Amino acid sequence: MELQRREFLKLVGTAAVVSSAFGVVHVASASQQAAASPSGERVVSVMCGACGAGCGLLFVERGGRRYLLPNLEHPQPGMCGRPASALQMWSHPLRLKKPLKKVGDKFVEVDWDTALNEIAAKLKEVVERYGPESVVITRHDVHSWFLPLFQYLVGTPNLIGHEGTCHSASTAARAAVLGAGGPPIVDPDYENVSYLVLVGRNLDAAMGLVRRLAAARGRGVKIVVVDPRAPNIAFGSVEWVPIIPGTDAAFLMAMAYVIINEGLYDADFVKRYTNAPMLIKPDGTPLGGKEVGVEGDYVAWDAADNAPAPLDKAKDPVLMLSEEARQRVGGARTVWELFVERVSKYPPDVAAKITDVPADTIVRIAREFATARGVIEDGWYAAKNGNDFDTYRLILILNALVGNIDKRGGLCFQESAGFPNVCDPAGPDVVTVTGVKLPAPKAKRLDKLLYPLNTSTFDAVYEAILTGQPYPVKALFIVGTSPLQRDARYQMAVEALKKLELVVAIDIFPHDHVDYAHYVLPDLMYLEREEVATVRWTLHAAIQKSHKALDPPPGVDARHAPWMFMEIVRRAWRDRAKAVGYDERYADPHKFEEWERQLVEAALKKVADRFKVSVDDLKKALEEKGFVVLKRKSYGVRPYKTKLGTPTGRVEIYSITALKNKLDPLPDYREPLYTRPKAPDEFYLVNGKDNVVSSHFAFTPNAKYLGDRTVWMNPKDAERLGVRDGDEVELEGIDNGFKARARVRVTNRVREGVLFAHAFLGGRRSSLITERFAYLREGVNPQWFTTGKIEPVVGSAPTNSTVRVRRL
Amino acid sequence: MTRLAHLWDQSRCIACGACIAACNAANYGSSTSPNVSWNWLRTNIRRIELSNGPRPMLYLLQCQHCENPPCVTVCPTGASYKDRDGLVKMNYDLCIGCRYCMVACPYDARWFNESMWTPVKCMGEECQARIAKGEQPVCVAVCPAGARDFGDLDDPSSSISRRLANSRYVKLLDNMGTKPKYFVVVGP
Repeated sequence: MELQRREFLKLVGTAAVVSSAFGVVHVASASQQAAASPSGERVVSVMCGACGAGCGLLFVERGGRRYLLPNLEHPQPGMCGRPASALQMWSHPLRLKKPLKKVGDKFVEVDWDTALNEIAAKLKEVVERYGPESVVITRHDVHSWFLPLFQYLVGTPNLIGHEGTCHSASTAARAAVLGAGGPPIVDPDYENVSYLVLVGRNLDAAMGLVRRLAAARGRGVKIVVVDPRAPNIAFGSVEWVPIIPGTDAAFLMAMAYVIINEGLYDADFVKRYTNAPMLIKPDGTPLGGKEVGVEGDYVAWDAADNAPAPLDKAKDPVLMLSEEARQRVGGARTVWELFVERVSKYPPDVAAKITDVPADTIVRIAREFATARGVIEDGWYAAKNGNDFDTYRLILILNALVGNIDKRGGLCFQESAGFPNVCDPAGPDVVTVTGVKLPAPKAKRLDKLLYPLNTSTFDAVYEAILTGQPYPVKALFIVGTSPLQRDARYQMAVEALKKLELVVAIDIFPHDHVDYAHYVLPDLMYLEREEVATVRWTLHAAIQKSHKALDPPPGVDARHAPWMFMEIVRRAWRDRAKAVGYDERYADPHKFEEWERQLVEAALKKVADRFKVSVDDLKKALEEKGFVVLKRKSYGVRPYKTKLGTPTGRVEIYSITALKNKLDPLPDYREPLYTRPKAPDEFYLVNGKDNVVSSHFAFTPNAKYLGDRTVWMNPKDAERLGVRDGDEVELEGIDNGFKARARVRVTNRVREGVLFAHAFLGGRRSSLITERFAYLREGVNPQWFTTGKIEPVVGSAPTNSTVRVRRL
Repeated sequence: MTRLAHLWDQSRCIACGACIAACNAANYGSSTSPNVSWNWLRTNIRRIELSNGPRPMLYLLQCQHCENPPCVTVCPTGASYKDRDGLVKMNYDLCIGCRYCMVACPYDARWFNESMWTPVKCMGEECQARIAKGEQPVCVAVCPAGARDFGDLDDPSSSISRRLANSRYVKLLDNMGTKPKYFVVVGP
C-alpha cells in the first residue's frame, strides 16, 4: 500500500526530460516568470478553473502569443473550448475591476480599505444581533478548499454550496448504494471499458475522461447516450436514445428486468458482495441476528447449513428462500426477492410506454450491456427531474448486477490522495490543518435540517431568508458562483436577496446576483493565482499545483479572495484572526501569499506522511511538473478486500440508509416533480451544459458564437406549430406562469415534445452588462420556469420544467 | 515529397470547441473582433451542423490544403501559393486584398481579416511556427477526443498515414478536382 521512495521518484521523475524533448523551458513559479528561455518562451503548468473538473493545462507564451495547451503528462489533461478562450476571459471588458459599493440604487467604486472595513463592521453587527448562523456563504468550486476556514472563523455552520442543483442526488445514491462520496470518487475506468452507457451525462467535463475514452473508442467500444436531447458527444458514432424526460428510472428498471429474467447477471458477485441475500422482515426492516439466534445485525439463509447465518459468514447464501426456510425466519424475504418483485413491474413493453424507447431497443441494450460486462456512468450534473435519487441508485445497482465494480474497465473507486481539508470537525471542536482549535458552530446547517442526505440544498436558504425559519438569515457571501443561474427558485431568490442586510458578491464577472449585492469584490481568475489541490477525475491518487501565469490586466484591481476573507475576519475579530496566526503583517496581498503557503505546506506534510515521502520531494515535483501521482489505481479492492462504507459493508440494493431516512429502501420509477405536458402546445423544457457552456465562459465573445442561446425544437413539433428556425416564441412556465421570449432553433438534436435550452448561458439580466455585450441578455435562463420543488431527504431541486409555447 | 495534411474524425469529435477557440487564441491573439465573413469568431475553423436529417451531424470546416487549389490559380499576385510541404499558404506582402481567392474557394475556407486587410486561412502564423519546430498545429495539439491528426501523407509511418490506412474516410467536394487534403474520418 505505501509507496516506497524509489517508486515515488519513478512516478514523478520525468518532467525535465519530456519538457526538453519539445524544446520547451518549463518555468513554473511566478517568481521565475522573468527567467524565460532565450527564445522568449514561457510555459507554466496551470489547473483549469473554467469548471469543477480542474484539468491539467500548460499556459504558453511565445513572443507576443499566449495560449493554453493540455498538459499531456498530467493524469487528467485538458482541454475544451472553455480554457481555450481563457485569455478572452482574462482581458474581458466586463471584468469586475474595483470594489463596488451600492449607494441608493447605483454602484460606486470604493477603495479596498473602505469596502473591507464596512463589510467587517456590518458582519460583526449581524453576528452579534442574530447569531453567527445568520451568516451564509455559498460557492461553486472555486475557493472551496479555503472557504471552511472563513466559515469557522465567522462561526457559522452555513457554508452551503451549489450541489442541490448539481450532483446532490447522484452523490446521495453513491452514499446509499456504495458508501462512497462525490462524483469523482467513483467513476468508470474509461480507457478500459467494454461498453459505456451515459444516462443524462454528456462528458462535457472532465476532458481527461474524454481522452481516456478515446482510447476505448479506438478499439471500437460502443457508447449509448440516453438523453432527451443529443449532447455534443452524440454528434459522433454513438447510439442516441432520445428518451422522454424524467423516465430514466423506468428504462433502467426494464434493463434490470431483462438482465435478471435472462440470467445475465453475475450471481456470484450478487451473492457475495451485494446485500441481495439479506433477510428482510415483513415490516421492511432487516432481520437481526438476535431474532434467530446468530451474531450480527444482518442475516442471510445459508444453504450450506440449511440455517440462518450472519450475512458475512454464510458459506452459501441463497437469493431465494424455500418455503420451509421462510417459515423458520418468520416469513422474512430476501432483498433479491423484493428487488425481483419490484423489477417485475417494468417489463420492456411497460417501460416502452413510459419512456417512448421501443421495447426491443431496451432489450437489446440490456443484453449488450450485460454480456459485454459494461458500465453505466454514475452521474455528475444530476438535478433534473426530482426523481433522480432512484435513477442513480438503479445505475449503481445495474453495474453491480453485472459484477463490474472496481474491476479493470468497470465502475471503479478512486485512490485517495488524502489531501486534507483546511478545517475538520474533531469532537467538540474544529481543527485547522495547522492544528489550531476553533469552536464548532452550535446551530445545525439549515438545509441539513430539512434534507439530511443532501450534499447542499441552497434553495432552502431562500425560504429561510423570507420566513426566518428555522432561524434568521441576514448576511450572504456569494463566492465565484451564480445563484440566479444556478438555483431552482428564481423568483423566491430575487425576493430573498432584497431582504438581506448584507450581500457580498466575490467574482470576476457581473452575474445577475451582483445587482442585489451591497458590496462587489473583484477576484483573481485562475491564471492569476496559485493553488494546490487534489487531481479529481482520475482513478489514481494525485495532487497538482496551479501556478500563477499572469497578473491581472491593467485597470483590474482584483485581489485573491482568501485574502479578502482573512482581512474581513481580522477587521471584525482581531483575536480570531490571530488565533490562526493572521495579523496586519499579511494585509499586504503579497505577504498574504506567504501566510497562505504555510497552510498548503501543512496540508502537503500530511500527504507526504501518508505516502512516506518527503515534503521537499513533493514540492519539487509540483514546481517542476505541476502534479504528482502518489499511487496508481489498484483494481479489485472494494468491496473484495475492503468493505464498503454502507451499513452492511456491501453494495446495497436494499438501502438501509434510505430506510432509516423514511425513503423507499428499493429504487422505483416515480413521477417527476413538475406537471407533465398535456396539450399540443405544451412541452418539457430540459436543460444541460456542454463543453462550450459555463456561467463564466458565457461572458466571452467566443461564447457569442460557440454558445447557443436559442431554444431547441424538434422539426416535427415546429412544423405542427408553424414555427420556423429563428422565429421568436413566448414560453410560459406551466407550474409558475413565468413568461419570457426566446428564439427557436429547429433541430433534430431534441426529441419530439421536448424543448432544450442551455443552462448558465442565456437570459443574463445584470445592469452592469454594457450595450457591446447585449447578446448576453438573449435567450432564457431555464431556472425561470422551474417549480422550486425539492426532492425529499436528498435535497435535489429539479432544473427541468414544462412550458407552454406561443407563436408571436 | 512531403504532403502535409489534416485529418478530422467525425465519428469521435465531441464538438467541444477547443480547436476553434485555440486557433483564435494562438493565431489571432484571442481577438474579440468579429469574423464578419463567416459571422463567427476569428478562427480558421467553422462549425456546420446538419440538423434536419435522420440524425444530428457535425462538420468542422477549414482549409483543405488542396493539391490543386483554386485559390492559388486565381491569385493575381502570387500571394496565395502552394508550398513544398504541401500546404497552401499566404505571402501577405504580396496580397492586395482583392479577395478572388475567397470567391474561388469552394469550401469557403478563407475569411477577410479587417485588421490586416487581407484574406486569412489555416495555417495561421503560430501554427506554421509550431510545425517548423516539429510540433502539431494548435487545433491538433488541444483536441481531447483524439479526433484530429496532422502529418505527411507521403510518409507511410506517419500517424495520419497509419490512421487513414485503417479508417473509412471522405474528402469534401472531391468531384471539383481540387484534390483536397482534409480527410474526414467517418469510422473504423
